[in-house]
Amino acid sequence: MPTPILSRYKPSQTAPWNLARVVHLHRRAGLAANWHEVQRDLREGPDLAVDRLLAGNSPAGESSAEFHSTADALSAAAVAANSIERLKASWIYRLLFTPDPLGERLTLMWHNHFATSQAKVQDVALMLRQNQAFRQFARAPFGEMLRHVAKDPALLIWLDADSNRQEHPNENLAREIMELFALAAGNYSERDIKEAARALTGWTVKNREFREDHRYHDGDAKTIFAQRGNWNGDDLLTLLLEHPATARRLAFRLCEMFLGEGVANDAVLDELADGMRQRHLDVGWGVETLLRSELFFSARNFGNRILSPVEFVIGVARSLEMVDPPPSSLLLAEWMARLGQDLFNPPNVFGWPGGRSWLTSRNLIGRANFAAAIVAGELHHPVRPFDPVSFARARGVTDADQQRSFYSELLLGRARPSEAGAAPRGAAPENFVTMILASPEAQLA
Amino acid sequence: MFDQLHTRRQFLTRSALIAAAPSVPLFLKQTAQAADSSKDTDRILVVIQLSGGNDGINTLVPYTDEGYVKHRDQLRIPTQQLIRINDQLGLHPAMRPAADLLDDGRLALVQGVGYPNPNRSHEVSMAIWQSGSCEPADHTSFGWLGRALDKDVRKATIKPHSFLLGDENPPLALRGRKSTSVALEYLSDLQLRPGAAGLDNALPNADNDLLAFTRRAMLSARATADVLDDVAKKTAPGQGLAYPATQLAGRLQSIAQLIKMELPTPVYYTIQSGYDTHAVQLPTQARLLGELAAGMKAFLDDLKQARLDDRVTMLCFSEFGRRVKENASLGTDHGTAGLVFVAGGNINAGLVGRPPALTDLVDDDLEVQIDFRQIYASLLRDWLGMDAAAVLGDSYEGLQLTK
Repeated sequence: MPTPILSRYKPSQTAPWNLARVVHLHRRAGLAANWHEVQRDLREGPDLAVDRLLAGNSPAGESSAEFHSTADALSAAAVAANSIERLKASWIYRLLFTPDPLGERLTLMWHNHFATSQAKVQDVALMLRQNQAFRQFARAPFGEMLRHVAKDPALLIWLDADSNRQEHPNENLAREIMELFALAAGNYSERDIKEAARALTGWTVKNREFREDHRYHDGDAKTIFAQRGNWNGDDLLTLLLEHPATARRLAFRLCEMFLGEGVANDAVLDELADGMRQRHLDVGWGVETLLRSELFFSARNFGNRILSPVEFVIGVARSLEMVDPPPSSLLLAEWMARLGQDLFNPPNVFGWPGGRSWLTSRNLIGRANFAAAIVAGELHHPVRPFDPVSFARARGVTDADQQRSFYSELLLGRARPSEAGAAPRGAAPENFVTMILASPEAQLA
Repeated sequence: MFDQLHTRRQFLTRSALIAAAPSVPLFLKQTAQAADSSKDTDRILVVIQLSGGNDGINTLVPYTDEGYVKHRDQLRIPTQQLIRINDQLGLHPAMRPAADLLDDGRLALVQGVGYPNPNRSHEVSMAIWQSGSCEPADHTSFGWLGRALDKDVRKATIKPHSFLLGDENPPLALRGRKSTSVALEYLSDLQLRPGAAGLDNALPNADNDLLAFTRRAMLSARATADVLDDVAKKTAPGQGLAYPATQLAGRLQSIAQLIKMELPTPVYYTIQSGYDTHAVQLPTQARLLGELAAGMKAFLDDLKQARLDDRVTMLCFSEFGRRVKENASLGTDHGTAGLVFVAGGNINAGLVGRPPALTDLVDDDLEVQIDFRQIYASLLRDWLGMDAAAVLGDSYEGLQLTK
């Protein structure tokens, strides 16, 4: 039997468990680690480090129960105030303090996959509900996620599928489910879409709740994927979950999140898809398989994925331990928008294209300006400049030169950025931190 | 004269950093190619949405029409205050800059514009204008410009496809299935603050392709920021090109700066609110029209000086006009046909259509003579070279608005 491509990583001479790998793991699968976490994982090895991420219980400054109640209170307050800005801020609070950074990354992934925008939905409570569903089913077998989200009122309103009748079957929902949420283009025919739209008739949203109105349902026989039956909406979802392309689409999404540009080829995608297909499309299994793999930890998977604005912004705050007091969540939300990722407001149903498209001039200028602003303390109320000398000293690093290496290691996972020696000697330490964060390398993980 | 490095294209091609590189980075080759091939298709549309429903009757006044005296008593603008266009029509006195544009061939006034079965709800009528469709089913998904940009062949090199200048979300008009719109409130979003310099970038080979791309992208971003700084300095007062100190003019100035940077984005949109003059119309409309006219003129003069105005056409529209008869609150209520402005350095100036007769009303409202989709068709097809019929779902006869 051929060795699976996604065989398990074991530390070796050529691929030692070192600082680079630890930082890579956290920047790629978590939301960046602080110095203590880096040292702990370096000591304890890859298995325990990945275990911790998968289980979602690495505390980051607050006990778990307190975290959850605060996070929930903030979300509820946002709904009560009918403020999407406060809802963004409440998500950012979670991102800053969560014990489960991998879970939040997956939540972001699902927000992108089932891209829905408040600009049209105009309902803070519904956007929160959708977000909670993404968090709840983040690692679940995909069927649980799909069946829940396909009936999510925010999604249906977004896709104009909130009125779906026999006389006017709404093709929009059918098309987006097939092209984006389950199968990907090329795996269905226009006929499939028309028949799927018929299966979905009767699905409506009334008083902000999903309702199935049988009066408007077309109960006649339909042919979808060459299978004939009196399919209704739930049947359509079953047919989609059984379709082989769905596993491939999920594998694509996971590889997009955890592997760098050009690392996932067909062989990798096929192997991952096959494995998930055999396990009821178990997303959690897919994530674990990737994160424990030799491929994930190989050098060719390092530094070749562009951090999304959210990952970049949160990573800076978490690795520099800006927790007490934290920067303003409302301001962080504004910066993320300036960098091109406005939470709850994806540009269209395709979500944020990601990858190289993050690096437009405007967004790059934004990243550099953000780095300068947060180090200067302007995201705190009141202003609270980051003190790189004391911070490093408190972690046992007193020599100025060693301090530069310290920040390079903490933020980038290597002793010196490849722009070695380029920072002018005698550059003030806070300028050095800004320079690292504004450098090309810091945009990649 | 505008002879310094004022365009991004020029900056990039002359930049010493690029000259020092062993070979021209691929993305720059692509940008240069796109720039060359875009010479014929680098036309721009700037849309100003006049929200609320501008009273066309008091904007372009039919002062010899008996109906004007009959229906507008408190709101009648005395003939001697009007800026006379011809022996029937006069412009609102606050629109002197617009009259100047008309005189030098840079403004067209399209009269009697609307659509069949006029709807007097702000929301519905605006959705009709923004979606380019009278069908309610089309009012919540995509807009006429979003759909047009979805189909635009240039789109591979364009990011974003449109800019909304303002603090709102990009409106329905700009929403497309795949095309993207960016809302920009301040151009300072494109300026690097002092402390934000990264490490020196002209260095050893990148570890991987993506790092190399990122470095080039940063070079490009800094070039953009530098060009913007450069352009901003060129627009300093003392050049005789001061923009009025209004929000609309500020946004138009930002649009002009973006256009001068030769970004590939073809559509710019901004919104001027306040035209819903149910009460005490005269001072409000005077202020708004004054801001509009002055802003438009400053914008077009600015682009003219930069020798870019022949590539830009402006469209100013409102979701409806107002009722012919004034109400009891010194204002007017929602009406039907309205006035549309088309302006630019490459248009066929003058009056389009006939002045709506105030004595020949339909249900006490102005008769619609020109379907707004004819204006859209003209701009999409004749100006931007796009497939108007596919976007609008039908063929609409153009109006030869542009040259």
